[in-house]
Formats: sequence, C-alpha cells, structure tokens
Amino acid sequence: MRVQVDSTRCQGHTLCAMIAPETFELDDVDGHAHPVAENVSATQRQTVLDAATSCPEQAITVMVEQSTAGHGAHGRRPER
Amino acid sequence: MADDRSADVSTLADNHGNSRGRPTYHFDRHTDGYRDEFLDITHEMHQRCPLAWTDTYEGHWVAAGSREVFELARCPHVSNDHDVQNERRGYKGISIPLTVEAENFRGGMLEMDDPEHRYYRTALNPYLSPAAVKRWKPFIDEITRACIDEHIETGRIDFVDDLANVVPAVLTLAMLGVPLNKWTLYNEPAHALVYTRPDSPEAERMREMYMAMGVDLFTNLVEIRDEPRPGIIDALAELRINGEAPPDVELIGMLNLLIGGGFDTTTALTAHALEWLSQHPDERRRLSQDRDTLLNPATEEFLRYFTPAPGDARTIAEDVEVSGVSLKEGERLWLSWAMANRDPALFADPDEVVLDRKGNRHFSFRLGVHRCIGSNVARTVFKSMLTAVMDRMPDYQCAAEGTVHYDSIGVIQGMRHLPATFTPGERLGAGVAETVERLQTICNEQGLARPITELKESAKINV
Repeated sequence: MRVQVDSTRCQGHTLCAMIAPETFELDDVDGHAHPVAENVSATQRQTVLDAATSCPEQAITVMVEQSTAGHGAHGRRPER
Repeated sequence: MADDRSADVSTLADNHGNSRGRPTYHFDRHTDGYRDEFLDITHEMHQRCPLAWTDTYEGHWVAAGSREVFELARCPHVSNDHDVQNERRGYKGISIPLTVEAENFRGGMLEMDDPEHRYYRTALNPYLSPAAVKRWKPFIDEITRACIDEHIETGRIDFVDDLANVVPAVLTLAMLGVPLNKWTLYNEPAHALVYTRPDSPEAERMREMYMAMGVDLFTNLVEIRDEPRPGIIDALAELRINGEAPPDVELIGMLNLLIGGGFDTTTALTAHALEWLSQHPDERRRLSQDRDTLLNPATEEFLRYFTPAPGDARTIAEDVEVSGVSLKEGERLWLSWAMANRDPALFADPDEVVLDRKGNRHFSFRLGVHRCIGSNVARTVFKSMLTAVMDRMPDYQCAAEGTVHYDSIGVIQGMRHLPATFTPGERLGAGVAETVERLQTICNEQGLARPITELKESAKINV
C-alpha cells in the first residue's frame, strides 16, 4: 500500500499525524503533512486508512497495489 | 440520492412559492429559540434543503449539508473579503448580520482572500504550528495548575470564570507579546462582546471595555515597533507586503481576530465538554482511564459535537453551481460548520457523542485556506485543562443552578458560568497572580514568544 498527501489540498489540520504518527510527519513551520515514506507497512495499513478518511480536506490518497496475478486471470493489465 | 434531493427541493420551493425556483428556508440563528431549535432545524435542512436561500438579514444562502459546506468552503469562487472602503467589489466579510462594530472594520486575515491573506498567514504560522505550540505545553500546564490550586482546597470552582477563561487568555497574551498581568483587561470584553446583545443595558460598558482593549493592543504595537520584543505582534510589526508595511488598522484587525479566536472558542469547548462529562460519569471514568488512546479522538469529538464557532459568512465571487443549486456573484452565504458536523451522510449517529469516533473529519476548525490557525493552541490548552480536572477533581459535579449558557449562540456557542463542586484536595503551588508574574519572568528570560524558526526548545518552568 502506498500513501500520498496532496500538498495543494492539505491545510494542516494535523489529524493524520495524530492518528498515524508513524506514517505522517508535520512541517515544523506550517504544520502541513507529508508521509514519512511512500510505502506503508502492513502493520500500519489500518491506521493509515483511518487517517485518510479522517482528513477534513480529503488530501490523502491511499493506493492499494493490484495483484498482477489477479488481473492476469481476467486477461487485463495491472492498472498501475 | 441526488434525484431525491432535487425532488424535495422543488417541492419545497413550490410550497414557498419562490419564483426563482430555488430552495428556500427561513433561517435566523440570532433568535432566542435558536439554541433549542438547532437540532430540528439541522435535521430538516439535511433532509429537505442542505443548501437553501433565506430572506433574513437582507437574504443569504445557508449551507447545512456536509457536501455543500465542503464544496463551498474550499471553492476558489467564494470570497472572505470584507471591503470596508468599497475599493473592490464591496463584499461584506464573514459576519451576518454586520454588527455596528464590524461595519467599518475588517477582521484581519479571516476577512481577506489570497494572496493578501497568505502574507499574514505565512508570518504567523511559525508561532502557531504544532511544533511551535508544543514548546508552550509546560507553560500551559503551569497556569492550569495555578487556576486549579486557587480552588482545590474549597471544593468549589466555576469552570468558566476560574479556569477556562484564564488559561487561554494568559497564553494568548504570552504568544502575542503583551504583558501577562493585562489578562483581566482583555478577558471580560473578549467574552462579553460575543454574548452581549447590542440592545442590552450592558452593551455600552462592553463597548468601552472593548475600546480599552483595542487601545492597549495599539499601545503594545507602538511599543514593540520602538523596542522589539518577541511575539506575534512583533511579526505583524515586521510584516511587509510588496515592500510596504500594512496600515495599522489592518494590524489591529488581525490582533482582534487573534484575541477573539484565542479566548472565547477554547473556553466554550472546555465548558461544554466538562458539563457533558459531568452528566456522563461512566464516560468520564472511561476517558480518564483510557486517556492514552481516548484523549485525542475525544477532543475531536467534543469539537465536532459542540462546534464552538458555529459558522462563517462568505460572498459568492463568481456564479457557481453546487448540488444543482445556482449561486450568483454578490450573493451572501452562511457556511454552517455546526450543521455540517451533524450530517448523517458523514457521521454515524451524528447527534451522539462517541468518544472514540473514527473518520471524524469535522468542520469545527473550518476548511480550506482559512483553517483555524489557532487549532493547535486550542487542542493543547483544552487537553491540559481537561486532564488536570480529571486528575485533581475526579468526582466533580456541575451544578445546573448557576450554569449559564450564552443567550445568543449566533457567533459562539459558549457558556458564561459553569459552577461545580468536588472533594477538596491539596494545593500544589502558588495561585494565579503569583504564577502569572513568575511566568512573565520565564517568558522574558527564555524568549518563549519567539517563532519556531528561532527557538526549538520547550519552556522550562522549574528552573
């Protein structure tokens, strides 16, 4: 799973870092958020999803990797 | 869903015989009954017209639905501008109706659009970011302790007068760079201006006290220009926009905004939360026991449920369509954070307090570029006061007799008094006056009011 914060939407509400402090860091000067790393470990998945749904500006995008095998079985290419 | 809504809306419009075919709803949040009717109005608007026109106060839109408030609060074609001199498009800012005091006075960056707003915001961020506010925590805990110590031996306290009014006031002045012993001069007008009706016998005295506060702010600004001392006033004194210092009246508007935002809102949140926890002792016990995991979500839930600042006005700056409703340039709009916070489309059991609520993307600090710049201060101060009360007055009981909610909750949903009793405990240190004096020395010696770019360390209280 990967996570991104859209810096044009983030307004520094800080809820993401409150809910998933291992994943989101806040800028010292304006409090806007960015992910510590783009890839989210399996243990952090649920809190990151919680953080994404809690974002008042809906600035957090969570991308779940599509299973290549699964798509292959349906004769389609992976989307990403 | 969309179809259902448009059907409802047209029926409603027909019922009201509106010739323009837009949804209408009679909405007046300044009436005596509004506090009691809030829930019914909210439910009705969510079901029938989440975005509706009201003829009250020269006519304006009311956004009550979470989707509508979300869209409009973040829409670049919606303006906060208060064009006092009628130099641009004559927009009226964030109040409906305009009070006599606000008519010719711009309320700081909250009544500006970008890019102008951005200059002020950028200057203030390093004083109010999460990292910047965290440095103040020992200071906040110390003034909280002193407030509690004043009353801990008596078994009686008024949570508004003796705690929730004091801590935000002393901290705000410290951050601004105003002498802390002035907090009483600021305290009464900052709250009373919000709840005193213009026609009340108290109004004249309130206006005089508000003027005295304004004069003191201006005096501080002049002093700090002459002989700089750290704090937000210094940042405003140093601010240049395209190489020019903004006019003093804009700076005073900014300072009034910070006082208004810093004082009354946190008081309102704290009083309501303490009252609710008194009425729900099991929840209070759970919150105290599980505070490591529960304090953060509970704080957000109290913010959502009580929404201290219930809404803001805006002006439509370009024709837009939201949820099938056309809004025209120049029309006024009320964004109801309080109603959006109760939208069942976004919050399960919206009228219940759920301390561990998940996905709580509430609207209480506004959305978009005008997100409350003091949100980190509010949370930190609230948590300090709540934690101290749970620790030192664990069995407190609020007294219904003597509890006074604001008559008018059109501006802030606040309380004037919240008396409580509890089992007396032991004093830990000095009272408020002595502590304020000591904190002033600490502020001066450690330069606490400097921005995070200049000072990273936390306040040290026991030196």
